[in-house]
Amino acid sequence: MTTSRLPIVAVLAAAAALGQASPARAQRLELTLSPRVVTFTSSDPDTVPIVAAAPIQVTYRVRQNNGPWTLSVLAAGDLISGASTVDIFNVTWTATPAPPFQNGTLSKTVAQTLASGSGNVNPTATGSVTFRVANSWTYDAGTYTQTVIFTLSAP
Amino acid sequence: MRHLFALLVVALWPALAEAQTDSATLNAAFTGLARLSFSANSITFVDADPDFVPQVSSSPATITISTKARASSGGTVTLSVQASDDLRSGVATIPASHVTWTVSGAGFLGGTLSATAAQTVATWTGSGVRSGTQSFYFRNLWTHPTGTYTLTMLYTLSAA
Repeated sequence: MTTSRLPIVAVLAAAAALGQASPARAQRLELTLSPRVVTFTSSDPDTVPIVAAAPIQVTYRVRQNNGPWTLSVLAAGDLISGASTVDIFNVTWTATPAPPFQNGTLSKTVAQTLASGSGNVNPTATGSVTFRVANSWTYDAGTYTQTVIFTLSAP
Repeated sequence: MRHLFALLVVALWPALAEAQTDSATLNAAFTGLARLSFSANSITFVDADPDFVPQVSSSPATITISTKARASSGGTVTLSVQASDDLRSGVATIPASHVTWTVSGAGFLGGTLSATAAQTVATWTGSGVRSGTQSFYFRNLWTHPTGTYTLTMLYTLSAA
């Protein structure tokens, strides 16, 4: 009877070990945005065809990593103002430093790579991301909003 | 059984890819705007014999009107015109209603000039860039006092 309990204890111990390791792994990757609000001010499309927001700072750290890491962005949907929408692909970004950062266009369906690399990034590094929206006479007047999810991942 | 424990650990570990997320909120303001431009800022009706030219065409014959408007969803965009006064030459006047126009272009409407009420030149629904033309005519009569008459037409483009 004693020997038959051993595997159960061992499996529980393994599960406990994994559970205890979870907070430690959470510290392997760190990601912070500042500010978390990106504002595009209204402008005349003829004089300001592309409206730039103030840049946001992306601070990140990767530790205990032997493989690749990726920082991606995904919009939760189009820009929305009541029943009116502006396709999210009208929002682009430029980012520095390059590499590891790269420019791109927002998508609501496929996460787009904002930065990538391999190994560790330690101490903390910071990139600057400037979002821009294509201005148009065809948009409905309104105040639009949408959430953009930044994800730092490593295998 | 220790082999089983080892296998479990190996099998679970590769599935534990790690990710950290943060989010930002995009706010974009697109306020109502309207812009209006013309191919010419003045038109002239030359003198003519009323028996042969009862309706005098303007020179240039047409004016191209370009509009750009950003309206609320389903909002109405309206282009209107109103004369500042009747045609006036010193103390002599000819009613502004002696000037009429025809149009081309989606949303444009023919009409008669008025010094007392704005007349609709075009109307559309929603934001966009549109253009059309206006061709002006002056009703030529023997009863008009001689003189050189002028008036100002004030155009208003509004987006609701």
